Amino acid sequence: MEISGWLSSTWLVAITAIVTIPVLKVRLKSWFATLTILVSSIITSAIAIMAIESNGIETFLYAGRFFGEIPLRIDGLSAWFILIVNFTSLMGALYGVGYMKRYQDQPRNLSFHWSLFVIFHLSMVWVCMVQHSLAFLIFWEIMSLTSMLLVMFEHQKADTLKAGINYLIQMHLGVALLTVAFIWIYASRQSFDFREIALFFDNNPSLLLFFLFFAGFGIKAGFIPFHTWLPYAHPAAPSHVSGVMSGVIVKMGIYGILRIVSYLSTASLLLIGEIILTISVFSALYGILNASVHRDIKKMLAFCTIENIGIIGIGIGVGMVGKSTGNPYIMLAGFGGALLHTLNHSLFKSLLFFTAGNIYKMTHTRNMEHLGGLIRQMPFTAVAFLVGALAIGGLPPFNGFVSEFLIYSGLIEGIKSSSPEISTLMILSIAGLAMAGGLSLITFTKTFGIVFLGNPRRQPADQPVEVSGLMQAPVILILALIVAIGLAPGLLLRPLMSALIPLGQPGVSIESDVSVFTQLNLVGLASGFFILLVIAILLLKRFFTHDARVDVSPTWGCGYVAPEAGMQYTGKSFSKSLAKLFSMVAIEEKKYKEISAGNIFPKKRTYIARYNEFFETIIIDKALRSLLSFFNLFLFIHNGRIQTYILYGFFFILLVLAGSVLNLF
Amino acid sequence: MLSLILIVVASFFFTGIIIRTKSLLSGRMGPGIFQPMKDIWRLFRKGSVYSETSGFVFKLAPTVYFASVIMAILFIPFGNQPGLFSFEGDFVFFAYVLALGKFFSIIGALDTGSSFEGMGASREALYSLLAEPAFFLLMGSFALLTGQTSFADIFGTLHFTSQISYAIGALASLVLLAIALIENSRMPVDDPKTHLELTMVHEVMILDNSGFDLGLILQTTNLKFAMYGALVANMFLTRGYEIYYSIPIFIGVQFLFALIIGVIESFWARFRMNHNPQFILMITSIALFIFLGVLLMLGKIV
Repeated sequence: MEISGWLSSTWLVAITAIVTIPVLKVRLKSWFATLTILVSSIITSAIAIMAIESNGIETFLYAGRFFGEIPLRIDGLSAWFILIVNFTSLMGALYGVGYMKRYQDQPRNLSFHWSLFVIFHLSMVWVCMVQHSLAFLIFWEIMSLTSMLLVMFEHQKADTLKAGINYLIQMHLGVALLTVAFIWIYASRQSFDFREIALFFDNNPSLLLFFLFFAGFGIKAGFIPFHTWLPYAHPAAPSHVSGVMSGVIVKMGIYGILRIVSYLSTASLLLIGEIILTISVFSALYGILNASVHRDIKKMLAFCTIENIGIIGIGIGVGMVGKSTGNPYIMLAGFGGALLHTLNHSLFKSLLFFTAGNIYKMTHTRNMEHLGGLIRQMPFTAVAFLVGALAIGGLPPFNGFVSEFLIYSGLIEGIKSSSPEISTLMILSIAGLAMAGGLSLITFTKTFGIVFLGNPRRQPADQPVEVSGLMQAPVILILALIVAIGLAPGLLLRPLMSALIPLGQPGVSIESDVSVFTQLNLVGLASGFFILLVIAILLLKRFFTHDARVDVSPTWGCGYVAPEAGMQYTGKSFSKSLAKLFSMVAIEEKKYKEISAGNIFPKKRTYIARYNEFFETIIIDKALRSLLSFFNLFLFIHNGRIQTYILYGFFFILLVLAGSVLNLF
Repeated sequence: MLSLILIVVASFFFTGIIIRTKSLLSGRMGPGIFQPMKDIWRLFRKGSVYSETSGFVFKLAPTVYFASVIMAILFIPFGNQPGLFSFEGDFVFFAYVLALGKFFSIIGALDTGSSFEGMGASREALYSLLAEPAFFLLMGSFALLTGQTSFADIFGTLHFTSQISYAIGALASLVLLAIALIENSRMPVDDPKTHLELTMVHEVMILDNSGFDLGLILQTTNLKFAMYGALVANMFLTRGYEIYYSIPIFIGVQFLFALIIGVIESFWARFRMNHNPQFILMITSIALFIFLGVLLMLGKIV
């Protein structure tokens, strides 16, 4: 069978699944969906690996007279993203099998959910391959719609509905922008083929068109100020869906941006690169600052996704600056770091969402202030979360450090540029990235410390226990990859180089300049040495203390002998001094009544404090409100009386009549 | 390896010199210079008391904290000899491995479930976060100045020649000194001798540590001091110097570094808690000045 045949067969597999899943027993629905995803993942991954080996595959699919021949091109970049999508979706489905067990009383909802999951996975894979604007938009739309419906699994909850509709509207804003951008190109080149985009940009480098694309894809990716859907959609979705959404769906935005960047002419890269770099630094800082103050675990993770998208964006910006200044080292470090961080983030973010799902499943709360001491009941989840937290903080010896190191290498090399503007931008970006790293240290020490350590802050209704082996399995697989990439990043060199080819200078071989990647092996070596060092010191400790006396006693309470769990430091107080320092961005909203002078007897009071987001409350909501009050000026037209509306129709008919009689039209 | 040995040796007397300076300045004789090391040695052989709330994180944390500093020291060159690990951009690894140690010391403190230790952890996390950009700005400026990106190459090619460069050297030493004070929770950010839990930062985090673990934590502080001292010393140990010059210079710089910290602690009161961020961000602005100076020196602006 030809490659296009194999690719089309994935849809056959999906349709089989959609037909079969509703009639299966409730227990088997999830397994069948996972099996389907496994089959189409194997097919598409095999083709992606073939594409990496043979430097790109091109095939055409005839799709009727209207579409004509749809070009399917899988180059290294597509292959890289296809492999990420396949792995994360597969892990998500596997985790979902265990996670969705408690919804078995809703068989119809489950059939719908798993059928959508299958389509969702496939649409993402096809987004990476299709190079025909119209077909691309269709797959893009399928991806958005299915993911919206997946988010709304618990559709009986008002919050979930609101989050889903918010997501729907924002995604369509993005699609509208993309449609305009593609039409722009079609109008001037008369073709839907993506290759025309490159030719278009060669002839007229239009900043406006690029930023149409950037905004369209940026809404999906979650760059500020297009990020407001993330903190609603991620907490509302079931955990395996949030893991896949945060792991790969936002990466489709990154894929789109990289694809367009690969079509830009070198002349226009510098300015755009600098702008993307600046936006990204602010995205990273803004995302992680909000993450550090929020106490809903999944909301925190959603904000943290914004940070990581910022870090990926920094890589893209650096790569563009490097390409435009003709410095292959900076270019490879930047784009390579961005691609590697895309992979790494999909690993540790899905891991973190899955472990957050474990917590939610066992304790029925996402509020970390109600938790504590879970490490005793759920040691596996705790260790997995800890590794994920270290990795996402970019700390060695895990994979997050490798990609951040690459981006840092690009930035440091960029400081040495001959132009002082680039030097200044690069060094400020380094400071921003370092600050984001420090903030993520606060965020994750807080989350891990409050949720897993100390004593339980509230007694749960039923005692949490460790999740089943089925739910641990995907987490173990992801953990293995996180450690492997951290210690031996060289393993990824081949696919990474292949993914970098479309982004590089056409016609210039990038194999000649891989010195930037040889550092990575040294980083892996140093990480490995560090682990050995820790083990050595542990042995030393054992040697010194094997016969020493060990006592166990209560925690030091400063002389107070009746401490209780409610007296522990809370997540809110942990990040309070930070939030106060950045109160212009992390806006605290408090609801309480002052005690008045006459109120001398104690009674029950409430005190509510929460953090609002700067962009949402200060910019978007205000703009929306003034827009709304402007439109309300025309409320008299839309007054709800049927008689008036008939009158409007009557006037219209009169107008048309008069117009045609007087030959005005 | 030479730098590792020298830093470890310097760490043995570093805190002793600080304490001795402080006692002499306040009119006392004070303990001997090796008293802190004797204390640590005694702690190493003592038994431990663990909190009933804490688990393996608490037991692992001091080890990782200690290991992270040892690992960081392995990156530090000595004059023209690179450290055990040396590659382009190694100062990023240096900073991040220190952050890893900090991560563990913070979760170790949170593992006890004590309100005081959570408070200290929160403060320590905030202060080290704010100090983070200064280090990167400093190293970035050096990278621009020398055209190199690893510790060994940067310090190997760094030469102070013109007047601006002397200013840069002085400011860089100041920044490193301030970072050392912040990272080790010393005056004016934190007072290690205070004994009121509410006002403590680092000390309150380790209230529940005892025995070997406490010894490790104390020795980590000493090593960290000597490590930053070694970074300062390296600015003056450029390629031209032979070992019989550079070792005395190294020891001299470390001695002076400890002496200055002792003097600062004697004459400077600690800040109010909410003034600390201002002080720490000031370091960042000094680091920006260094960057500006480097641009001036290379003739890129003006």
